[in-house]
Amino acid sequence: MTTSNPFLIHSQENVVIKNSDDKSWVFEVGKDGNLWADFLQMTDDLKVVVNLQDVNARCQINCAYLTNKNNKINIDIKVLHKSKNTTSEQHIKGIATDESRVSFKGIIEIPKSSQKCDGRQHHRGLVLSPKAKIEATPQLEIWADDVVCSHGSAIGPLDVNQLFYLQTRGLSESEAKKILLSSFLGDLMPEEFSDTIQQWMDENA
Amino acid sequence: MTALLEIKDLHANVGNKEILKGLNLTIKAGEVHAIMGPNGCGKSTLSAVITGNPAYTVTAGEILFKGEDLLKMTPDERANKGVFLAFQHPIELPGVGLAQFLKAALNAKRKANGEEPIDAVQFMKYMNVRATALGISNEMLKRPVNVGFSGGEKKRLETFQMAMLEPDFCILDEMDSGLDVDALKVVGQGVSVMREPKRSFMIITHHDDLLQYVTPDQVSIMRDGQIIKTGGPELVEQVEASGYDNF
Ligand SMILES: Nc1ncnc2c1ncn2[C@@H]1O[C@H](COP(=O)(O)OP(=O)(O)OP(=O)(O)O)[C@@H](O)[C@H]1O
Ligand SMILES: [Mg+2]
Repeated sequence: MTTSNPFLIHSQENVVIKNSDDKSWVFEVGKDGNLWADFLQMTDDLKVVVNLQDVNARCQINCAYLTNKNNKINIDIKVLHKSKNTTSEQHIKGIATDESRVSFKGIIEIPKSSQKCDGRQHHRGLVLSPKAKIEATPQLEIWADDVVCSHGSAIGPLDVNQLFYLQTRGLSESEAKKILLSSFLGDLMPEEFSDTIQQWMDENA
Repeated sequence: MTALLEIKDLHANVGNKEILKGLNLTIKAGEVHAIMGPNGCGKSTLSAVITGNPAYTVTAGEILFKGEDLLKMTPDERANKGVFLAFQHPIELPGVGLAQFLKAALNAKRKANGEEPIDAVQFMKYMNVRATALGISNEMLKRPVNVGFSGGEKKRLETFQMAMLEPDFCILDEMDSGLDVDALKVVGQGVSVMREPKRSFMIITHHDDLLQYVTPDQVSIMRDGQIIKTGGPELVEQVEASGYDNF
């Protein structure tokens, strides 16, 4: 079966999945638990809530989006550090072309009682056409003081100088774009999704 | 010798500013042609226009390459016809491995010539010979294109790309700036071994450093968007001795 919005849960030690309908997920990560999940969004919305319930709970959420035509998608990822000594990472990268729109909202919440937490969230978006739009709203609610937190978001077009350089080496504009788009996504997504990603690139680069 | 490249009354702008102001230049097959001129006179602009950089607009004139209208071609079509530019400031491509990139480039050229993609083993052999000649290590081949390399290493890598793609027309834009004596020797010899009757070079430079390894057939002096004088290698000495003011 091929799905347009594949996901893969690599690790779910001490993780309870409270709710899931492929578009909306609630995870509870218990003591020493480890959640690692990858999502690839092309046409559907995604809502993920991770509750880090107890000490040494950790999560890594990787999400890529590839949107085209006039698709509009919302991606909401919320990580709640409910316990002290918990760790989270969110890596989100995506590409929007045609007239598609992406709204990404990422929340890290660390209440005052949750000291010694580490929360990270990084987002990068590439806009391939003048009518495509990516909006990112990172939201950090950090009330504890002894924590490590980092976040960043960058949205922009493909680098014209890189594109030109590749073309001067004989690669067509579309081949050059594909090389830059694959290097942009890097190894964020697992091998399992590579055919889906490649197909999207072939159709949209 | 027949003309490989013929530029006639070329005018080009960046934005609304005219940079090339009626430039004429002919480079014959097999010729090494040095272009010298003060900072900002338009040397890199000329190389950008020849290779089809979309940031520059040609407003008048023509460029013929092997008798064909170069200005009608996309940058990759020009490359696959045999035009190569070693950039004054090579572009970094994070996440794009050098070997993988060169294989894609080589196969693009083969495809344009109606040839099959190169076989993986053959490619490795082809690459290793050229890498060794230019002192490019295996480690460098695995790294992303130009990322984290020193200025001199980047120039060496541009020369290496040129050796890999074996173009008919090689533009070297200040290949010799920022090279230490050893690197200059490696690059100079690398260019010099590629010299052959059907391959031409346009060497943009401020000094005679690289030209000592690759003696030019012709030297053109460029000022304010035009070629104002063309002569033999003696022009290099004149520039070295008294700059551009006497032209
Ligand atoms: N993309 C650009 N945007 C704005 N101005 C530009 C651009 N490219 C070139 N110019 C301007 O055009 C003029 C010629 O630049 P060019 O880089 O061609 O000079 P050059 O002869 O290569 O100089 P150098 O010897 O310093 O490399 C300069 O005044 C430069 O500022
Ligand atoms: Mg220059």
